[in-house]
Amino acid sequence: MSKRHYEDGLYALHAPRPSKRGRLPNGINRISTLSDETLLHILSFLPISSLIVCQRLSYRFNALAQDSELWKRHYYYRWVRQPRRYANSRQTVLPVVEYSPKVSSWLNHSHLANAGIRMDWKGQYRLRHNWSRGVCRVTEVELSQPYLRPALIAFCAGVIFTVDHDSQLRARSTQSPAFCLAEISLTCPRAHPAALPTAVTAMNGSRPNLIEIAVGFEDGHFGIYNMDTTSSPLRICFNSAGSTNGAITAMSSLYPYLLLVSHHKVLSLFRLGTDFSVPVHLLPREPTLLSSLEADSIMEPMSLSVRSAGSDVITSIVYSFYHAGCGWSLGIQESLFSCSTGLQKETRLTTTVDSQYGICTPLAHSCSGTDQSCSWVETNRKNTSRLRPAEPSIHHQEAPTSVSYSHPYLLSSHTDNTLTVYLVMSTSAGLCIKGAQRLWGHTSSVSAVQVNERGKAISVSSQGDEIRVWELEGLVSAFGRQRARRHGNSIRICPGKKQSDISDLTPSSRAKDNSLPNTTQGPHSITKISDCIRFDDERVLLLRGKKIDGQMLKSYDFT
Amino acid sequence: MSVPTLTFQSNDGVEITVARDVAERSVLIKNMLGDLGDTDEAIPIPNVNEAVLRKVIEWCEHHKGDPPNTGDDDDSRRKTTDIDEWDQKFMQVDQEMLFEIILAANYLDIKGLLDVGCKTVANMIKGKSPEEIRKTFNIQNDFTPEEEDQIRRENEWAEDR
Repeated sequence: MSKRHYEDGLYALHAPRPSKRGRLPNGINRISTLSDETLLHILSFLPISSLIVCQRLSYRFNALAQDSELWKRHYYYRWVRQPRRYANSRQTVLPVVEYSPKVSSWLNHSHLANAGIRMDWKGQYRLRHNWSRGVCRVTEVELSQPYLRPALIAFCAGVIFTVDHDSQLRARSTQSPAFCLAEISLTCPRAHPAALPTAVTAMNGSRPNLIEIAVGFEDGHFGIYNMDTTSSPLRICFNSAGSTNGAITAMSSLYPYLLLVSHHKVLSLFRLGTDFSVPVHLLPREPTLLSSLEADSIMEPMSLSVRSAGSDVITSIVYSFYHAGCGWSLGIQESLFSCSTGLQKETRLTTTVDSQYGICTPLAHSCSGTDQSCSWVETNRKNTSRLRPAEPSIHHQEAPTSVSYSHPYLLSSHTDNTLTVYLVMSTSAGLCIKGAQRLWGHTSSVSAVQVNERGKAISVSSQGDEIRVWELEGLVSAFGRQRARRHGNSIRICPGKKQSDISDLTPSSRAKDNSLPNTTQGPHSITKISDCIRFDDERVLLLRGKKIDGQMLKSYDFT
Repeated sequence: MSVPTLTFQSNDGVEITVARDVAERSVLIKNMLGDLGDTDEAIPIPNVNEAVLRKVIEWCEHHKGDPPNTGDDDDSRRKTTDIDEWDQKFMQVDQEMLFEIILAANYLDIKGLLDVGCKTVANMIKGKSPEEIRKTFNIQNDFTPEEEDQIRRENEWAEDR
């Protein structure tokens, strides 16, 4: 790659090279007498199809046409500007949006446009392109054969953590999941030799490259492990005493908080020790219990989440319950804790029942929350007037097969081939769930869904390996509009294929499996299929266990 | 009242007189006049010969009424390689002259002219195969066939849009 100073100003004065230009006969390579800056200027007028042709011209053009700034522009126009114009297209005044290196104009892509970090924009463009096409490379790893009991999976900072049937915690690289970076036996000598692991979560630790892993067990105790990704052995940090609350069935974490729920419906929030004056491996840092909450009527599937909001940390549990009127519904309870004192400030509860009836409950008062939440309130008000009460309600006969909540998106997957998406509004004025919307696209029962905070959701159906990618970020503004649901905004993942061709991938086993009912058992059932999805910006991981086929880990790589 | 003028001297020694507002399409000249004040002496323009300099001045005269092009965020023009009719005719020159104009526009810092020149070259590249582009510009292929094929394969993902 040739060295340049592009940022210093494309139009800076560059004296032309001292050359023999005037004396060159025809048939001489004149274009190469131009400086890199001028050539880049020319290339900046070219579409991508021409850029990749230019790469094949010569070494110099190869380097120039891969220029990150060129690709950043294309990335902006295709992925940032277009969707925004689309989102605004129903308004009368179309704001003129132009490319700008300023982070603020990058909306949901601002995590990419952060100043100071060198990005490979061609790589990013390609990644995004592949996502939009559903093109990826699949690698499969067999975790156990025959199927013994569900393996557990966590995915953090590009490292896959699995707790396999043999009670080993393994760290696996995303490049080749079969390869173990590190492993550690969970049968800790201190106590609980026989307890089986039942839940796992991983989070970025107290310093860069440190990942903390929490594993919950059948007997109610949990262990904290950590891994330095640069040196990479897994180490045990802490093993809690057993608890009488029963098996830990779900965990969620955001350093230094750990949220877990046990089978007997006790929700507990822990804070990991933060004493860094001593080397971590010498002193087990004891997590402190901040809060504990009991509930009776909650049922699986459920989803936990921890997020931070300014000086507060907000924990949420989403659970399913049966409502006589509209069938299976979701409830969400969130609690606010002060980061500094660890004391609970507020707790509140809401359910999806209203929105399943098509009623939108606007927040009563203006809020003093963040700008973002304020704008939702306004959107909400605007949409309320448009909503017709006669809109058919959403009725779920069967319990959702899975739920996933990543603020503000709440998704549930159902056996009737659909997903339901809700928007959760959490402001200082209260907690509220906004209009439900069904998402169509799957052709068989949806067995698992996972959503991230930027509104990308991945869902998988129980047969045929049909995986779909949903971009939900547009819903925030489009909510309440009937039109929005008609835009089938999902893309089917087609491993190793260029075109998304659905017809030839119809699973042959569909008729046989159609009767499969996914009931309240949730993902931890042994007799049923247990699917689990994790994903990041580059990959989707699907952990799929079938009694006959054994347990498989599939990695869908979009890079 | 006469229009204030400047005199340029090309690198082959020819003096050309231009109206000052035309000459100030060049940011280089404008800044230089700002630093030095008015001058009656011929301003030497090294690196630019008479023919090219006349061509550049012709463009500046035609575009002297254009709104000044400022701001680095002005990127809408990048979306398109459309060139207005006059400029298209203006750019119907041989490759030698085309690249001389680009070099001169770059040196004199005339953004609009540089854009037109670069767009013209971009249009010569668009829609062509690598071999056709190499032929057009006499670019030497310094790849081995294997290397070129590898680059083609690496970019296959982007071919169907």
